[in-house]
Amino acid sequence: MEWAELIGRVAAHGDRGAFKLLFEHFAPRVKGFLVKTGMSADAAEEIAQMTLLTVWRKAAQFDPASAGAAAWIFTIARNLRIDSARAAARRAKAAVNAERDETPEVALSPETMMSRSDDVSRVSAAIQQLSDEQSTVIRMSFIEEHPHGEIAERLGIPLGTVKSRIRLAMARLKDLLDD
Amino acid sequence: MTINHHPPEDLLADFAAGRLDEADRLVIGVHAAQCPNCQRFIAAIEQLAGAALEQAAPVAMADDAFATIMAAIDEPKTASTPAPTSSQPVPLLDDDLPEMLRRCRFAKSRRVAPGVKMQPIVLPGADKSRAFLLWSAPGTRMLEHSHTGTELTLVLKGSFSHQGGEYRPGDFDFGDGEVDHQPLVGSDMPCLCLVAMSGDLQMHGWLGRLISPFVRL
Ligand SMILES: [Zn+2]
Repeated sequence: MEWAELIGRVAAHGDRGAFKLLFEHFAPRVKGFLVKTGMSADAAEEIAQMTLLTVWRKAAQFDPASAGAAAWIFTIARNLRIDSARAAARRAKAAVNAERDETPEVALSPETMMSRSDDVSRVSAAIQQLSDEQSTVIRMSFIEEHPHGEIAERLGIPLGTVKSRIRLAMARLKDLLDD
Repeated sequence: MTINHHPPEDLLADFAAGRLDEADRLVIGVHAAQCPNCQRFIAAIEQLAGAALEQAAPVAMADDAFATIMAAIDEPKTASTPAPTSSQPVPLLDDDLPEMLRRCRFAKSRRVAPGVKMQPIVLPGADKSRAFLLWSAPGTRMLEHSHTGTELTLVLKGSFSHQGGEYRPGDFDFGDGEVDHQPLVGSDMPCLCLVAMSGDLQMHGWLGRLISPFVRL
């Protein structure tokens, strides 16, 4: 069963069985992912629950042609993490500065939307052209947020090699995607 | 629109991963909204992040997690998100702004130097950096300056140039502590930029030292 198909069933007829399968697969992974990037287990639990709730509510907005299910769910969790950090910062400021406690809502979520379908296929093609080594360093450095020293240790390569591999991987990705 | 200057790739990746401070995120977001190249780059990082999520070691959810979500689904949805206000409480330096900026709240604009005005954007979640619109009269030579932090600049209207080249609408300029530049605004029309700045601006030259206490950017 494809995850995208399950999301489609949630969107089409509020299929709770399909949603339960999505929950069982993705909720513990979202939680694990957030814990790995330094979030407390309680906070990660809350964001993982909100992520799945958002999957239910926004299932109709999922476009299987533009993003894979996992990438879409990642962006939901990412935006929720940004929102919760923003809310915490706002509360902290309000506590310090009582007269600024009327805090305006900034409706701001600069997600980018690719509108053309050839963009979508170019992105997938580019990712496939990256070597395993290249996608691994991008993932470890930018997504899992490991310090370069730790990446060097895990991959068993010198620190300088980590830095140059990241730089080359990013340049290659940019090359593949630029007009 | 031909865009010649883009954000560095690591900023785009941090944007995609959700790791940028609010002011920086706004500037990258407004650039990406008009730049197909950067949209594709961000989408590629999101794809890699999706793959990382698939491979993440699962951590068990609370026993009642599924029941909690189902209860929330069955609850009537409260209309909690206030509609973005279309009218700004203060006059804007420019009324014709990109969509993402029109949804922001602005503070009052103020004059910072002859021929230069700025208008702060109210970002309650901003931590280390601040965002503002910067309006400069045609032909203005900005003071030679460097920063202790970073400066992200997106041209919205008009143009400026410095050692790095010419910057036109859609172009993005990145400055950090290393950079010491003195942009010259194009002479044909005013230049409007969106700027995110962290750290302090350092003015150089006798004039800069004289006026820098008054230039509070
Ligand atoms: Zn770009």
